[in-house]
Amino acid sequence: MTQKIFPRNLTARAAVKIAGNPVTTRLESGVGNCFPGLEFDHRNLDRRFFPGLVFNFGLTPPVLASTDDRDPALADQTPSDAQQLSAAVSAAFDKLGQGEWRLTSLTQGGRTIDLQALANTQQLDAASFWRFVRSLTRDKVTIVLTQTPTTAASRQASRDDDASPTAPIIVTLTHYRRQYVDADTGVISAAYLPGELTQSLCSPWMHDFRDCACNYWAANHPDIVLGVDEGFSADGPAEADPDLAVRPLDWLRADRDSRAAATDSPGRNNAFRLRHYQINQQWTSLAFVLEGRENYGLYAPGFEAFAEPFPTAEALADELVSLCGLEHVVLLEYLYAYYSLRKPQDFTDPRNSADALFARHELLGIAVSEMRHLRWANQLLWTLAKLGLIRDRGPALKPGRKVPSAKGERDRQLRPLALPELDDFIAVERPSGTLDGAYARVVATLHMGYPEPLLQLARQIVAEGMDHYNRFREIGIVLRSWPGVRSGTATPWLRPIQVGSPAAAGKALDLYRGILRDLADAYRRGDMEDAGKILDARQQMMALDEAAEQLAADGVGIPFF
Amino acid sequence: MTTAQAPEQPWFHLVTGPQPAVLVVPGSMLFELDEDAFAALSHGEPEALAELSSYMRPARTESGELPPVTALSLNVAQVCNMSCAYCYANEGRFGGNARLMDRDVAFRGIDTLINNSAERAVTIGFIGGEPFLNRVLVHDCVEYARTAAARAGVAVRFAVTTNGTLLREDDIRLLRESRFAVTVSIDGGPTHNRHRRLHGSRESAAAVASGIAPLLADPGEARVAARATVTRDDLDVAGRLAWLKELGFAEAGVAPVRTSPQPELILRAEDWPVFLENMIAAAQIELDRVASGERPFFSNLWVGLREIHRGAARPLPCGSAASYLSLDAEGQFHSCHRTIDMPGFGMGSLDDGMDATARRAFLASRHVDTQEPCASCWARYLCGGGCHAEVAAAGRAGCDYIRGWLDHCLRTYLYVLDRHPTLLARGET
Repeated sequence: MTQKIFPRNLTARAAVKIAGNPVTTRLESGVGNCFPGLEFDHRNLDRRFFPGLVFNFGLTPPVLASTDDRDPALADQTPSDAQQLSAAVSAAFDKLGQGEWRLTSLTQGGRTIDLQALANTQQLDAASFWRFVRSLTRDKVTIVLTQTPTTAASRQASRDDDASPTAPIIVTLTHYRRQYVDADTGVISAAYLPGELTQSLCSPWMHDFRDCACNYWAANHPDIVLGVDEGFSADGPAEADPDLAVRPLDWLRADRDSRAAATDSPGRNNAFRLRHYQINQQWTSLAFVLEGRENYGLYAPGFEAFAEPFPTAEALADELVSLCGLEHVVLLEYLYAYYSLRKPQDFTDPRNSADALFARHELLGIAVSEMRHLRWANQLLWTLAKLGLIRDRGPALKPGRKVPSAKGERDRQLRPLALPELDDFIAVERPSGTLDGAYARVVATLHMGYPEPLLQLARQIVAEGMDHYNRFREIGIVLRSWPGVRSGTATPWLRPIQVGSPAAAGKALDLYRGILRDLADAYRRGDMEDAGKILDARQQMMALDEAAEQLAADGVGIPFF
Repeated sequence: MTTAQAPEQPWFHLVTGPQPAVLVVPGSMLFELDEDAFAALSHGEPEALAELSSYMRPARTESGELPPVTALSLNVAQVCNMSCAYCYANEGRFGGNARLMDRDVAFRGIDTLINNSAERAVTIGFIGGEPFLNRVLVHDCVEYARTAAARAGVAVRFAVTTNGTLLREDDIRLLRESRFAVTVSIDGGPTHNRHRRLHGSRESAAAVASGIAPLLADPGEARVAARATVTRDDLDVAGRLAWLKELGFAEAGVAPVRTSPQPELILRAEDWPVFLENMIAAAQIELDRVASGERPFFSNLWVGLREIHRGAARPLPCGSAASYLSLDAEGQFHSCHRTIDMPGFGMGSLDDGMDATARRAFLASRHVDTQEPCASCWARYLCGGGCHAEVAAAGRAGCDYIRGWLDHCLRTYLYVLDRHPTLLARGET
């Protein structure tokens, strides 16, 4: 903001960023406005609105929590009647120490709010009563406190006073509403004890950690995790419990040894979670979660540290080009397999529909993720070239010819997603397999003094590869549970699809080539300066998806290669 | 910093006066300017435009979700004991036969409102005609609504628009104790008796005054405001306000006639500048009064100032069809109490429920950005495009007046913000 334009109304003030103030001072950064108790609970201030008295606003009408004879406001010399009013308040302390007292009336400026009557007749929540108190100005206020229920001693005292035995016992006091902060310095009144203003705010590792209604930071924690890596290896987890490695567990489960799967319903999981009091005492038993998996022991970084760096930047680049080809060819294989899957609406049994939906969703997710890897691997290349560390090789958008397999390498193939093909896919993505093994060497190389963002990018690819492995295995668990599948070769989830001729899939192939052209143009510029080409490519991907679905419905698979 | 690409719609409005300022239309943001900045913006200098536009946020995308209906007016008596010359409801009958609402219809309306309120506080309005011609039903509805709301765990508020001539002691007690927002239709001035005709009497002003005197003397928990209609044969504003204040009202507002069964009462093109002048004069008197310590009285001014303070920016003039509907004696929902029986404003029925499709279509069609002259008017988000019923019946009249009044409110806002900020929003600590 220059000194020539001054924001005046509330929206203008909210729009202007004040130079020097941190972003957390922005209105949109704060959630306290809509959820009291996060940054500051104003009730903690207002509970001492009346000198010498402390109220709680949780009940209607508000309840007197305590009296405070050390309240500095009782010693105020001004205004002139302050001392006299303070004396009357102090004189009532003994009486107010007996039984429970409610704040039943407020009077200021000739207007009275009968809080007891409102509590009796209106549907007002406790916060409304606090707002009445909040609405008081820094002027003289007269309050009525009513004892509820009347104590025996008070009844006795009343009889002595010849009052009606049924009349409520009340105390009427007048004083000036507290000046919460010093008018000159802004310093908060010394009446507030240390910690008093922050009491009731969010606390991690305590009740909020379990049940914060607004999911604020104090409640941030993992929810669904994978269990401890028990013999997790290239050969898969223990035979006795084959899907343990990929079973979702509730991180907050009360039985820490339980390996029962979490459900997809927070409500149902809730019953098995640590209760509030257990959280307070046992939070230290919760496991750290690394890479989505619980880890109670010492974290040992994976194979990455042991991978051998490439000797030169050019060797690294050569490997990246080859990895681009690999990402590209597997994404085409996955896409082909994806379009071989029937749609959920093709099934009458809702369980089959749900399984088909799951398999399609996961497989497409993996394919899209491979597309992202292709782009990141290219980004590594173009960044290295821009930095002058390698010669510019241009975009790497040629699909590879070979794909890693359990037995070394196989020729690339366009195949529907039957179980043997699925196992092939799992083999490609297996941790410490060829694919992420190669990236491990990339990571190891990038450790050696290359710019940090490049390292992070490569690591991201490795982490997602681990995710692909788990997701493929889950698809396998789901498909194998279909009746008759385990024993035979039935593939009821598949469309009758065959690799079509280039002529039959002409339009789809044109789109595919168009996508590659646009991506090549964009990658050549690097740094995403040519976002328009990326958008064009995305548009064509949508069109390709539509064309591929149509072809697949007619039994034609796209001959990507 | 964003680029100062001039949008097709006017996106800012310069406010002249002792404190030059600029209103940024999206978000209704008001910035004060020094002379240099004002001149730069006046001349469209790119740097100044760029700085100003940098404060604009991307427009919020509409979620397309309808808000729940939280306010419903019940046309408990589509008949009136008065026959005001300019009444849009034509003695409350809306052009049809005189009808009283049945208990069953009213109660079902209340149930429908509460069930559709998404547990938000609801407001039930009583309207007519003259609601107190169906006095028993008003009382019964309050009791019924309180019970139903308590059962559903929602808060309920009440409102009524009345001519004030039929209020009895028990009615006044009801208004006080149930914390009604009471709007009294009363014009003041010499034309009152001429236009607000009471069947069988000439002195309707006296009848209103005596009817509401006990409520004005002791409003209890009720909030009572006067609403005066301004006809072209008496464009005075300040005089009416003074008269209403004298009568004991704590708050009063005025509204000019744009539609009327008697066309000679409708303001014409040459009347609007006079009316604007009178409004500004009344506002000046109001400011002098407030400066001497009195409470705000002239509600047109204060509503305007508070909306500007909040930066209210809305593409519609009111809540009708969004959060507000009106129910007629036949059990049909309408976009508001003014569109009863007007074609194209039906919003479902008790039998079929509130018609979300009709509501959505109505709101989409009324959006100021989608219609001219609103889309090219700087005041569009402060004005909202004018009363649906009036626009449908008579098109838009007096747009220059509205711009003139809002421009005056913007100037006045800067003045009040400096001198009486607590009247706009309560100060803290």
